[in-house]
Amino acid sequence: MVHLIRTLTTLSPLKLLPLLLPISFLIIIGFIWVPNQLELLDNAYIDTFKTGFIGILLEALPFVLAGALLSSLLRVFIPDEMISRWIPRQALPAILFACLLGIIFPVCECGMIPLVRRLIHKGMPVYVAIVFILSGPILNPVVYGATLTAFRNHSELAYARMGLAFVVACIIGLIIYATVKKSPIRLSVQRETDNTHHNNSRGGKLAAVFVHTSDEFFEMGKYLIIGCLLTAGIQTFMVQDSLAAIGDKPLGSYFFMMGLAFVLSLCSTSDAFVASTFVHSFPAGALLAFMVFGPMLDFKNSLMLLSLFKTKFALYLFFLIFSSVFIGAVLMSLWL
Amino acid sequence: MNDSRSIRFHYLLRAVILLAFALYIGHLVQQDALHYYVAPKLARWVQLCPIPLTLMALSLAIQALFGKGNVLCDCEHRLPHSIFKSTALYGLFLFPLLLGFALPDRALGSMAASKKGISFSSLPSETTNAVRFESIDPYHEELTELAKILYGQPTIPVYSDIFSETLGAIDMYKQQFEGKEISVSGFLYRDDSETPENIFAIGRFLVQCCTADATPFGMLVDSGKLKSLPTDTWIEVRGKLQIVQYKGQEMMQIRAEAITPIAQPTTPYIYTSADSITAWKALTNTANPTK
Repeated sequence: MVHLIRTLTTLSPLKLLPLLLPISFLIIIGFIWVPNQLELLDNAYIDTFKTGFIGILLEALPFVLAGALLSSLLRVFIPDEMISRWIPRQALPAILFACLLGIIFPVCECGMIPLVRRLIHKGMPVYVAIVFILSGPILNPVVYGATLTAFRNHSELAYARMGLAFVVACIIGLIIYATVKKSPIRLSVQRETDNTHHNNSRGGKLAAVFVHTSDEFFEMGKYLIIGCLLTAGIQTFMVQDSLAAIGDKPLGSYFFMMGLAFVLSLCSTSDAFVASTFVHSFPAGALLAFMVFGPMLDFKNSLMLLSLFKTKFALYLFFLIFSSVFIGAVLMSLWL
Repeated sequence: MNDSRSIRFHYLLRAVILLAFALYIGHLVQQDALHYYVAPKLARWVQLCPIPLTLMALSLAIQALFGKGNVLCDCEHRLPHSIFKSTALYGLFLFPLLLGFALPDRALGSMAASKKGISFSSLPSETTNAVRFESIDPYHEELTELAKILYGQPTIPVYSDIFSETLGAIDMYKQQFEGKEISVSGFLYRDDSETPENIFAIGRFLVQCCTADATPFGMLVDSGKLKSLPTDTWIEVRGKLQIVQYKGQEMMQIRAEAITPIAQPTTPYIYTSADSITAWKALTNTANPTK
């Protein structure tokens, strides 16, 4: 109890900042939910919420485990120097290399953060890691196939999605390369670099892999569960038709779609199908923004990124992602 | 924090939670309820998850029970210090387990459909087919082939394997299918109180990946003078197809001749079919082995 009081009284405004973003979103969602409070007692709502929540959680589970496992294998088996040898020195080839990595490793964004944290420790420059984080969830054959399937009648949207994601990732990579000189990793995360940690765990290296996997799983899992709770809540309590009216406004529809993508936190394979349900009420550019912004930045992701990077850098990154996707989508819609 | 007793406790608790997740997935598989939550192609991967989960639980348990005290340390991934943070963390992980085990497994129903809005056609409204059974572009070729096959049937059966493709083919060639007999099963969905009680939709949830993207999909039904049933009942409808105006758009509607309640099928959701023509042939062959 004393400890709790001590923690509360020493909270500085800057420490609160990472929490402000999710809290403000929760407040907004709360205002949408409050009229439906009485309906919480209704069983149909709880059933739908449970089905949605467990569904989204189970869907993401294999990816989070895969990401945690990959990261842990990297930590235990691959020496530091190997990674830095593979990455090209100059900026442009390095960025293209990161996009290539994204194509080869189709890890959902939930599994990506632990892997990327490990890669940064092993010597990957931050801008390359950022390009990987941004391009990975979209530029891979699985997502391309899913987008083509969802938009069978509008295949140009699938090509546009890939193109825009590639361009945005590269541009943001270059901007970060040019503007960020100091390491943006959180100090608490930097202290983990002690790799001379002797591995004396029972069961040798194999057990160590699984122990680390479970550590990563519990760290990332909490953001995953919060994200799933929110998405399931929105799906259960918010009526999608009422959103259609916003689709008529020219620029407002873009902001709305991007906001929706942020809050829904869908996996990049299924967001194309959700977007296709809006194809009659929203302009193509807004759907493009939804499909490119969502995998790059959403509620779950932002929490994870805030846990990895210093707040100022994270907010800078969010701003870069938001503005480039918005501008890019608007420009692309002129061509579509 | 190097307190080895505390670390052992955390490790054991985590091992239990991971094991519980593995058991929950196993429970879902055993009850054959996994498909309520994820599509079949993803279900394979989810079924594999208990393996790494159990291995993780085992490794943690071994460390906790047999690991040497001076080696156990959490320098890299800090374990929560205070009771408050620990409860918050583990409570968060226990919540889905609680929800999963405590509440029964149900398929998505009208409630979810009313939030998402049911879609009656997978095609944009601009597609018009002036010419009989000629496809506009290569994608529609498959549906056109299917439409030709369906047209030849005395009563059009809507198999759940090719549900969305069948309805899509009929919707594409509205004029040609008008007046044909059709037999389809799904759950009864009524959307708002404005539409009279005899007009409702028969639908299924189309799932691509998991419940997050599940979209309700179906066809309008006019039950006329037939006894009306409560929403969410699983029914089989037999009737004649007709073209009506609904909310400003031309739609196919079934003028029901018979509505029979049925048991909820084990696979209530529908998925897109990779090749509806082959699926059709396989389904009709098993139905009529003498053909």
